[in-house]
Amino acid sequence: MAIHERSLVEPERILRKDRLVIDGVDVSGDWNLIILPRVIEDYDLSLLDEILQQPEGKTILQCYQCSYCTASCPVHNYWDERYNPRHFIYLARLGMVDELQKRADVMWRCVSCHKCTHRCPKGVLVEEVLKAILRVLAKRGLIEEYPSKKFDKFFLEQVVEYGRIEDGELLFGWIEKQGYKVFKDPILKKPIPLFGDIPEWLKTLAVKPIKNMNIDFLILNAKHMLIHPKTKNWGKMKQVLRKVLQEEGVELH
Amino acid sequence: MAVPVQFRKPPLGGIGKKVAYYPGCSLEGAARAYDVSTRIVAKELGLELDYLEDYNCCGAMETKNVTFWGTMLLNARNMSLARQQGHSVIVAPCNGCSFSLQRAEYFLETDKNTLDRINQLLQEAGEKPLDTVPHTYHILEWFYHEAGPEKVKEKTRKPLRGLKVANYYGCLYTRPHFYSRTYSHLAPENEEQDRPRKRETADDDEHPYYMEALLEAAGATSVEIEPMHTQCCGGPHSLSDEEVSEKFVMMILQTAKRNGADIIATECPLCHASLEMYRHRLMLKGVPDVDVPAAYFTQLLGLAFGYSANDVKLKDNLSDPLPVLKKLGLA
Ligand code: SF4
Ligand code: SF4
Ligand code: SF4
Ligand code: SF4
Repeated sequence: MAIHERSLVEPERILRKDRLVIDGVDVSGDWNLIILPRVIEDYDLSLLDEILQQPEGKTILQCYQCSYCTASCPVHNYWDERYNPRHFIYLARLGMVDELQKRADVMWRCVSCHKCTHRCPKGVLVEEVLKAILRVLAKRGLIEEYPSKKFDKFFLEQVVEYGRIEDGELLFGWIEKQGYKVFKDPILKKPIPLFGDIPEWLKTLAVKPIKNMNIDFLILNAKHMLIHPKTKNWGKMKQVLRKVLQEEGVELH
Repeated sequence: MAVPVQFRKPPLGGIGKKVAYYPGCSLEGAARAYDVSTRIVAKELGLELDYLEDYNCCGAMETKNVTFWGTMLLNARNMSLARQQGHSVIVAPCNGCSFSLQRAEYFLETDKNTLDRINQLLQEAGEKPLDTVPHTYHILEWFYHEAGPEKVKEKTRKPLRGLKVANYYGCLYTRPHFYSRTYSHLAPENEEQDRPRKRETADDDEHPYYMEALLEAAGATSVEIEPMHTQCCGGPHSLSDEEVSEKFVMMILQTAKRNGADIIATECPLCHASLEMYRHRLMLKGVPDVDVPAAYFTQLLGLAFGYSANDVKLKDNLSDPLPVLKKLGLA
């Protein structure tokens, strides 16, 4: 099989000598580069099948590898070159699970900015496809749970429970999950931002409305923290949502 | 592999003076200022917002990344509420919300099976199924099309003279055009057909200009920050991937500052929160050129329409835009 991707050739498999003379002929230079063959037997084509079954993954086959998505991607350009949407699609289509696993540390970093999807000339919903790939890998237990997924689930739990999100609870709940000690009042067990062992930036940011004497803002947000805003008649929706999530294999607490 | 798709005719021309208003959760809490100032601006421009009673969270990027059907259902419920209030257009002031609704619109329109299943789920949940899928616009597009710069100019009593504004649109206001702009990303089936056209009421994909057009009409000067005007702030990862978000926000703020901006105008509560939060963190770290404050574009328009800083709740902004505005005699 021809070599498709430079990044699939590990440095250990490249043999090259500074000087090489064979039968008295000097073949130093690029001539003497040899790449040891690599036999890949564990192509897993069922990966592609499963991606195609995801509602978001259906457009994956339209990709013709032009790399416009990668060229547009801010995570690729400003963060880590190993984050490469085009390449992930390529690997997923070949079913090269181990290569995808090697990139698990960057794969989740997509910030969902949709530059890739926006610009793809072939109508691939790139961002959605990438999320479908991640989801299938996670479902098969091939990658570990990544930070953003923990947050996404935490967010989803609030939505399912109340129908609405409350910024304070989201922020402090998340901080607490990170191992910080959030101070809570003893009766209602609601976080009080001024005390406790929370990051310095949060402490100094949270006192700003107090410093500014922004009383009605404080009252509003305190009220929301005490009584979580809810959507009325949410009971039935909650049930249906839970059912749908169960069918999709999403576990909530 | 092109999937044949049936599209409705794009709504050309007007959006309507009275629309369903989907504020989204943030606007009821931390981003109250945006809600208050939005209502002020709508009133001044002669437009009517019909509050969507008892809506639920759109789920944003976070739920979308975990569940397809759950997110569809969340948005379909809001659409169904809008239909019951008699609307076929929803406006949302948040990039996340307008994206979510538009995304749902896309999948519900392009895939009959999705629509059927969602309608069934809606009924199970005791909601009315969708007879037709309403269209969603970002509130900025609505202001621009139903009122426009002329109307803003007419209403301006205290022009924002001397204020240099960096207009920050964030990513999802214009992206991806599949969901919000064009009706089909697929090539036409035969040569005679045109590629299905864009909504006339949508902002430019790559070079959005509605916000600067409105603010310039109110007397402000725009500062060019391309391509950072649509650079992502890290959005859905702003809490879960702090390194990346910090870097992205730093790039945005520094570009604005170094191009001479006094203030960054935002049109999304999430972008706004992200900018303010990381601005604070970067400043604590002593990173240079990041101290530009942020304000919602509606707050700035409100000021120009003669409202006070208190009316548009400028105190709520954690990045303190007041000193800058006071210095220029605008607040
Ligand atoms: S832009 Fe589209 S076609 Fe090109 S590599 Fe990316 S997904 Fe494939
Ligand atoms: S959505 Fe993700 S993959 Fe696409 S351009 Fe943005 S960060 Fe890159
Ligand atoms: S995306 Fe944010 S603002 Fe929009 S509804 Fe959801 S939590 Fe509220
Ligand atoms: S800039 Fe950030 S908050 Fe705004 S739409 Fe993009 S990701 Fe969301």
